Amino acid sequence: MTQIALDRAREASGADARPAVELSDVSVRFVTDRGVVSALEHIDLSIPRGAFLSLLGPSGCGKSTLLRVVADLLAPTSGEVRILGGTAREARARRDIGFVFQDASLLAWRNVLDNVRLPLEVGGGGRRGAREPHELLALVGLAGWEKAYPHELSGGMRQRVAIARALVNDPKLLLMDEPFGALDEITRDRLNEELLRVWDETGATILFVTHSVYEAAFLGQEVLLLAARPGRVRDSVRVPLTNPRVLAMRETPEFVALAARLRAVLETC
Amino acid sequence: MSSEAIALASDDAALTKFAAARSREAWRRRLLPVGGLFLLLGLWQFSVDVFHIRPFIAPAPTAVAARLFDHAGLMLANLAPTAMEAIIGFVIGNAAAMALATVFVHHRIAEEAFFPIAVMVHTIPVVALAPIFVLLLGNGLAAKAAIAAFICFFPTLVNLTRGLRAVSPQQMELMRILSASPAEIFLKVRLKTALPYLFSALKIAAVTSVIGAIVGEWIGATTGIGALIIQATYNFDSALLYASIVVGSLFSACFFGVISALERYCLRWSVAQSA
Repeated sequence: MTQIALDRAREASGADARPAVELSDVSVRFVTDRGVVSALEHIDLSIPRGAFLSLLGPSGCGKSTLLRVVADLLAPTSGEVRILGGTAREARARRDIGFVFQDASLLAWRNVLDNVRLPLEVGGGGRRGAREPHELLALVGLAGWEKAYPHELSGGMRQRVAIARALVNDPKLLLMDEPFGALDEITRDRLNEELLRVWDETGATILFVTHSVYEAAFLGQEVLLLAARPGRVRDSVRVPLTNPRVLAMRETPEFVALAARLRAVLETC
Repeated sequence: MSSEAIALASDDAALTKFAAARSREAWRRRLLPVGGLFLLLGLWQFSVDVFHIRPFIAPAPTAVAARLFDHAGLMLANLAPTAMEAIIGFVIGNAAAMALATVFVHHRIAEEAFFPIAVMVHTIPVVALAPIFVLLLGNGLAAKAAIAAFICFFPTLVNLTRGLRAVSPQQMELMRILSASPAEIFLKVRLKTALPYLFSALKIAAVTSVIGAIVGEWIGATTGIGALIIQATYNFDSALLYASIVVGSLFSACFFGVISALERYCLRWSVAQSA
């Protein structure tokens, strides 16, 4: 076990040991022209602090809906949501939640540095533990790009900026909604490795939505499989890889077997 | 070693050639319209001379140019009130449109109630509205500025309302996660997103505000480009009529140019601008 993992385990055994995310019997239903659609049904979930959980499922399984319930962007139709021991709204107001979208969603008229600074400028400013934007840009490998505008960057670089922006308030919970889904494979691999480094460095709890079996298995300490229509938890699989992870692990028999198993479950979702 | 030097030299040569071709292209794009203009003017002058067209039917370009120089003082004296009316109308009309678009974006009920009315009012031809404004506001600057304002108002209202709503859902979610206030969302996201939409409306408004002022002056004004046009027509002074039109459209073009320059300055970040 790495030193950081040990620290994290110690922290979890302390007084503040409530899970990062607790969902009990959460359901989300939408009313549409074609009747009531059940996006999530009876979700029970507990994610310990410091975990990296991959959410894997076919499209329409409610992965993004689940993330939006945790982020307080969407109120569940029924059930209870507890984030870091309080309500989702409190966690959001305390700036404990960072969110990375599939599309980097940068503001085109702000340069890289000002995009990363945005969370410090709105909603009552940053919190006391806010991180230095320059330092975060260095962390995501964009030192020297502070003055560039989003249209001058590649897709992968834009997503790095979005990650730095999500980290600027030093959130305890980082929610990622298919952040690398639109990138080419080489860029995606590189960002996967870098994200694990960021996770190690920040100690944040990460919920990572993806529809890629390999990405889910490579990144997560655990993979949660969701089934579609209605969205529900199909299975939960622990990833038997050691930390820190390197891309070469994806060629090991354990990894191949895990991917095959996830794929088999996914086909029944 | 030597082959490398040759490669570099040929690269330099290629770059020089490329730069030269580029600069030729830029000059061609600037000079060709000028050439086209002189060709048309020459054709016009030629037709007037060859077919002995009487000056009050269609004056020769040289006659128009002569009138422009002889009456430069008169032209400028009449341009001043028209320009003033157009600029005041432009400012008032666009300010009102921006205020209403802001209300529309924050209160859907207001938009649903008043947008169809705005569309209906806009269908009234400005020529028909001009006498109404003169009756309401008198025969001074106010009526002409009001007509110019009216004609600017609608394109800006429609474009800005659309632009303020053009924020991506994910950017709205981002602002929500950051607990941004409605004022912060408006100032930091909506307004900036709407700027390209706003500027395309303002460029239209720059031209139409001058039209509004001139049309307003047709109703019994004694000064202004519009008044000059009416007087020249009644006096069969076609050269003066054409000269007035030239002065009016030159001012419109300058106004348009100023707004375009402002747009380039404000939208430096835009992909379309740098491409």
